Amino acid sequence: MYVSPIREPLITGEKTYKKITDEISAPIEGKAGKAWYAGIALTSSALLLGLAMMAYTIWEGIGTWGLNKTIGWGWGITNFVWWVGIGHAGTFISAILLLFRQKWRTSINRSAEAMTLFAVMCAGLFPLIHMGRPLLGFFVFPYPNTRDLWVNFNSPLLWDVFAISTYFSVSLLFWYVGLIPDIGTIRDRMKSKFKKAIYGFLSFGWTGSAKHWSRHETISLILAGLAAPLVLSVHSIVSSDFATSVIPGWHTTIFPPYFVSGAIFSGFAMVLTLLIITRKVLNLENYITVGHIESMNKIIIATGSIVGIAYITELFIAWYSGVEYEQYAFLNRATGPYWWAYAIMMTCNVISPQLLWFKKLRRNLVFTFILSIFINIGMWFERFVIIVTSLHRDYLPSSWSMYEPTFVEVGIFIGTLGLFFTCFLLFIRVFPVIAIAEVKSVLKSSGEKKAVTDKNESS
Amino acid sequence: MRRYISAYFEDEENLLRAAKDLREKNISIQDVLTPFPVHGLDHALGYKRSNLPTVAFICGAIGLAVAFGFQTWAFVVDYPLFIGGKPHFAIPSFIPITFEVTVLFAAFGMASAFFIVSKLGPGANNVIHDERITDDHFVIIVDLDEQGNQDENVKSILLNEEAQNIQIKEIES
Amino acid sequence: MDNNYTFSRKTRTFLMALGGIGIVLMLLGYFIESPNGQRLWTNFLINNLYFLFIALFGVVFQALHKIAYSGWHTSLQRIPEAMSAFLPISAVLMFLLYFGMHDIYHWSHENLHDPILEGKAAYLNIPFFFIRMAIYFAGWIGLGYLLRKNSLHQDLSTDVKYYKKGKLLAALFMVFFAISSSTMSWDWLMSIDAHWFSTLYGWFVFIGLFVSGIACIILMISFLKSQGKLEFINKEHIHDMGKYLFAFSIFWMYLWFSQYLLIWYSHIPEETAYFAPRLNDHTILFFTILVMNFLIPFLGLMTRNSKRNLKWLSFMAVIVLVGQWLNIYLLVIPGTIGKAAQIGIVEIGFVCLFLGGFLYVVFASLAKAPLLSKNDPLLEESFHYET
Repeated sequence: MYVSPIREPLITGEKTYKKITDEISAPIEGKAGKAWYAGIALTSSALLLGLAMMAYTIWEGIGTWGLNKTIGWGWGITNFVWWVGIGHAGTFISAILLLFRQKWRTSINRSAEAMTLFAVMCAGLFPLIHMGRPLLGFFVFPYPNTRDLWVNFNSPLLWDVFAISTYFSVSLLFWYVGLIPDIGTIRDRMKSKFKKAIYGFLSFGWTGSAKHWSRHETISLILAGLAAPLVLSVHSIVSSDFATSVIPGWHTTIFPPYFVSGAIFSGFAMVLTLLIITRKVLNLENYITVGHIESMNKIIIATGSIVGIAYITELFIAWYSGVEYEQYAFLNRATGPYWWAYAIMMTCNVISPQLLWFKKLRRNLVFTFILSIFINIGMWFERFVIIVTSLHRDYLPSSWSMYEPTFVEVGIFIGTLGLFFTCFLLFIRVFPVIAIAEVKSVLKSSGEKKAVTDKNESS
Repeated sequence: MRRYISAYFEDEENLLRAAKDLREKNISIQDVLTPFPVHGLDHALGYKRSNLPTVAFICGAIGLAVAFGFQTWAFVVDYPLFIGGKPHFAIPSFIPITFEVTVLFAAFGMASAFFIVSKLGPGANNVIHDERITDDHFVIIVDLDEQGNQDENVKSILLNEEAQNIQIKEIES
Repeated sequence: MDNNYTFSRKTRTFLMALGGIGIVLMLLGYFIESPNGQRLWTNFLINNLYFLFIALFGVVFQALHKIAYSGWHTSLQRIPEAMSAFLPISAVLMFLLYFGMHDIYHWSHENLHDPILEGKAAYLNIPFFFIRMAIYFAGWIGLGYLLRKNSLHQDLSTDVKYYKKGKLLAALFMVFFAISSSTMSWDWLMSIDAHWFSTLYGWFVFIGLFVSGIACIILMISFLKSQGKLEFINKEHIHDMGKYLFAFSIFWMYLWFSQYLLIWYSHIPEETAYFAPRLNDHTILFFTILVMNFLIPFLGLMTRNSKRNLKWLSFMAVIVLVGQWLNIYLLVIPGTIGKAAQIGIVEIGFVCLFLGGFLYVVFASLAKAPLLSKNDPLLEESFHYET
């Protein structure tokens, strides 16, 4: 395949296949540094806090949360949607960028997909613990039972069960299928018999046979073709948790694609947050180059702009509709008791990503890192604003109330951050964070070419 | 006795040319092992396109039928309820779950078929010819006949493309 | 290798005849079916929008691929450029709508004593309507023209500044288009059913525009290849166009379903009032649109081979193009003509006239520049790629 010389190289530093293997395997083979131990100590503490708060919730009941009438969903579901949204970037990078032949995805897809799995795990906790009787959570599955009842197929909450389960399973499958050849690589490098056996087991007997590679390529494409509509459908179904209702601010037809764009937006921000640190700490700057960061920033400005347009559309149509409840819902968001949340949302999601029109900023790692955090804060507030402002003041003013989270809810959220980052820290020690085989396959066409030696130089 | 010759290349372009040469002379190649999928190798080795996409389609169709059929049966035949004023046969409601199950069946059906056909799986007992294959070695294993008529021919094609570590092995059949 | 298209006398005559047949059918229809002013203006709007959308996609296609640093499309460039040549004609026609406002847009009448419409009057009033129309066309035609000019200049010089300018123009266009595509669909289509609203509407109309445009490019490739041109367009390009048609037909269905599901589910009368006449008074058309725009391309373009076969792909493209016309038809008629609407001789006549005119303008533009653009730094990628 021909690659135009005007394109930036995807792999810098004049690498060879061997160097790629060595450098990407290094974090797995070497000892962890102090930074890793410090990191995992912090994240595990957060995780423990979360587990304690979840246990407390299940023991004492949902009364330990700040939910009340009419705000039946607060931090819990905000966190659920936030985490699912973050998970979407991984599948977008693996599947949709594969379908669009974007070669730059090869050095980021492995971590992004792993991030998806961890994010979906975090998301999945919330529907479970926010139930009145979480120990009966299995009731959501349609199994033949003595109650003679089936689950409510009309409910978007049930569609969520199927969507999130499918999303997790298929993402896991896609990630693992891609990982198998790389596990083979690690297996073949392991000196310790024990580790070799473990990686051997996990590698499913991968030999590198051309026939297997051929099938592997085929199924990767088909899995990408399946995962692409899947990622669209999952967040659309999540958005229908709100959009199928009748309350202003929730019931609006733009939610499915708007939520999907927002998910990709926040997901890419999280990928950037993770990878800007990872590439530095694990010395992978030649693989996750500034060009990669810039490409991710371009997707952020595109999806961020789509989200911005969706906000403007909602505002306009609320006015256009002439429906006073719809108009009040938006007036309340901007000027009511939660106006500060709305302001954070608008600043972080609409204004700040527009700075990425400037190339210098797109290629600036410090700016990008800070921006990525702002975007995730902004997207958290977007879900908070949507959920809480529409619930706290809907049609009947006598029912209007306020919502505040308790320390239990905040603790659980911190716990999920702990779970997510702990999993990621473990991941980087156990599996290659970059898809070794995929990067090798683009080395010749997109890697930095060796400099031509000067004719007058003596060799 | 089955005889074969194995060698490795350091560059995939050499491998491709060697493979093409061997195939032109109708010499049967037992296997080629590479650290990553080499573009054009399928074609050079004459591999036919896989049927796995068809498996995916069939499994997906089954998933579609199962999901849509089950919801219909449960809500129209077995235990119809009036929920939110919706009809019992609530087609728009059934679509999201139907779609998810279709994708689930298609993905896992196809992946299972892949593992089974390739004899890969937890606890699989495959021979690893060379641990450097998964690093940067491109290995080719060519079948030789019992009499050894093709030996020199094959060796020369391999050497022409800078093959290394050419070895002739024999296994009792 | 001849890389130029000549707009032959034969084709010119054929297209003029097509237009002529259109006029004949319109006259015939006028006498047989006695259409009133509303039906005539409705047909005018439907067809002008349909072909405007395809022309607009010409610019969208270029802009989108430029900002995505895409290389494979660069050898196709001249086709979408030619499609956009229809934009000025569409603009002139759209302004003629001034004389038919009352027949199409209920809100344009005076003294309706309708509180809902009075609430929207700051947006839905004739002066502002036409000011917006002017802004849309100024932006689309202006930026489309600059992109075309840039592309032609690039043919003559290897200076990389044209590549950079192209990207800047593309970005500006996409921002302008992102906003104007929604507002134009609210103005020209959604306001027909002036008591109704849907936040997804703008994006739904956009995706129809996208799919129609892809189908048009496919048919133009097919036509030019049948004339022995475009030898540099190979199976890989065809495959990519096929993927677009397949994927975006699915995406169209996804947006259609999102809108329908949410309105069906909440069952709020002021919203379901939109679908009720469409589903009940025009049932066959309603489902035909779904079959033609989704079911057929979905099943017909699933396999790899189907996407690489230009004949089959062209057949699918024709079905989608007819399906998208019917889609716009059903977006428009329940709010104007209503239950009595039928596809008759008048409708066919309008389509023939507009089709003849559209193709005439597009082929004339195609003949004005070499079919293969030069000097784009990514052009070489278009000759050496595999999907």
